Amino acid sequence: MKKHLSAKTKWLIVAAVLLSVLVTVTSAMKTGGWASRTVQTILTPFRSASSALVRQVERYYDYVFRYESLQAENAALKAQISAMEENVRSADSLQRENERLHQLLDLSSKREDYHFASAYVISWVDSNWKSAFTIGKGTSSGIHEGLVAVTEYGQVVGLVTEAGTNWATVTTVLDSSLDISATVASTGYNGVVEGALATGSEGLLRMNYLPTDSVLRNNDQVLTTGSTVYPRGLIIGYITDANFDQTGVAKYALLKPAADLDDLEQVFIITDFDQQ
Amino acid sequence: MFRHLHLTKLQWLGILKWSLYGLLTLVVLLLQTVVLTQLPVFGVKLSPLPILIVCVCIREGPEKGGVYAILATLFWCLSGADFGNLSVAVLSVGAILSAVLCRAVLTLRFLPAALCCLAVSLVNESLIFVFKLILPPAVALSNYWRILLPTVALSMLFMPIHYALVKLIGRIGVQDDL
Repeated sequence: MKKHLSAKTKWLIVAAVLLSVLVTVTSAMKTGGWASRTVQTILTPFRSASSALVRQVERYYDYVFRYESLQAENAALKAQISAMEENVRSADSLQRENERLHQLLDLSSKREDYHFASAYVISWVDSNWKSAFTIGKGTSSGIHEGLVAVTEYGQVVGLVTEAGTNWATVTTVLDSSLDISATVASTGYNGVVEGALATGSEGLLRMNYLPTDSVLRNNDQVLTTGSTVYPRGLIIGYITDANFDQTGVAKYALLKPAADLDDLEQVFIITDFDQQ
Repeated sequence: MFRHLHLTKLQWLGILKWSLYGLLTLVVLLLQTVVLTQLPVFGVKLSPLPILIVCVCIREGPEKGGVYAILATLFWCLSGADFGNLSVAVLSVGAILSAVLCRAVLTLRFLPAALCCLAVSLVNESLIFVFKLILPPAVALSNYWRILLPTVALSMLFMPIHYALVKLIGRIGVQDDL
């Protein structure tokens, strides 16, 4: 075996190890980003084309095989819309009352102005330990690191963690690396939401640091509390389960993400908003 | 147009062969990142690219194949692969050693190649998993059996297709088929 390892082969092995170390060091020092950005910029048109092709195939498949199930889903959605319209009607009266109270207290109601940039998802990170995807727009469209990605319904999808000229990487809320300050809409309990990927609850979020005496109900809506990164009032998810954490002094809740991340085609990046 | 390059027919065939390997690598990378990430099998994302890299390296030998393995893993790493920097070393060295092993001890047939692909893929994924276990936010140990082993095993389903394609491309410019 040893005699089959020629000098050139040995050099190649050393080169591979050195290259690996070099990539690690440059990425840690954030000096080798240009190489990654160049490769991603070159790959973006190929990814966009492949993604568009896959979408076309999916649409054709859905048209052929999922027509009946779509009809049933449509009927269910219509029922849901009528129920929501009823909710909106009752909310209208509450909102009017709220506005009157604001005027009474001489408080001006402040509205956050969002500016969006829409982008299509062109590829996903091919790791089982990370939840992130690439979109086909980048700094040339005003997208940069630290912006929030949402669905068309204002559901949080994730955060832009890397951006190139014509691409950007969005790390989703399912990834354990993101922490979002959140509040339970119905009760006002505050906590921090993070992806439960690392804890073995794939596809769910975990809301930590809830008060011990908090009363949590299934399907309670969890919203962003608002920060310099996340605008206030974006929907993060719905409570599916709750329990005490390992310390026994705080509660945590498991949430189902509001955004359907398995079926994500297009996202909207909030490029600017009123932070007041 | 390319007459002034004065390349022989064999050199042209060599360029064609490596272009086809490059194209195949790009197609598999796109398949892995665009299609398979959206179609998890039994809840896991499959990873056929490491298997292709080992197959090409075994076919082309530790020297030419080794250079290809380094370039392919570096490209994969720079395209945004999770822990790609580790894969540059592990996959490249694993592929080179597989090529040496197949030539020195085993044979250049399907079964030894499949065993090498399985071993390299398992070692690569396991080392990444070790880092994921150590570095925060740490993953649960049970994920090794629940996610990692099925990922490696199911990714091996691509081995026959990769092997056949690599064998087909590897024949270009070679008189005696190995």
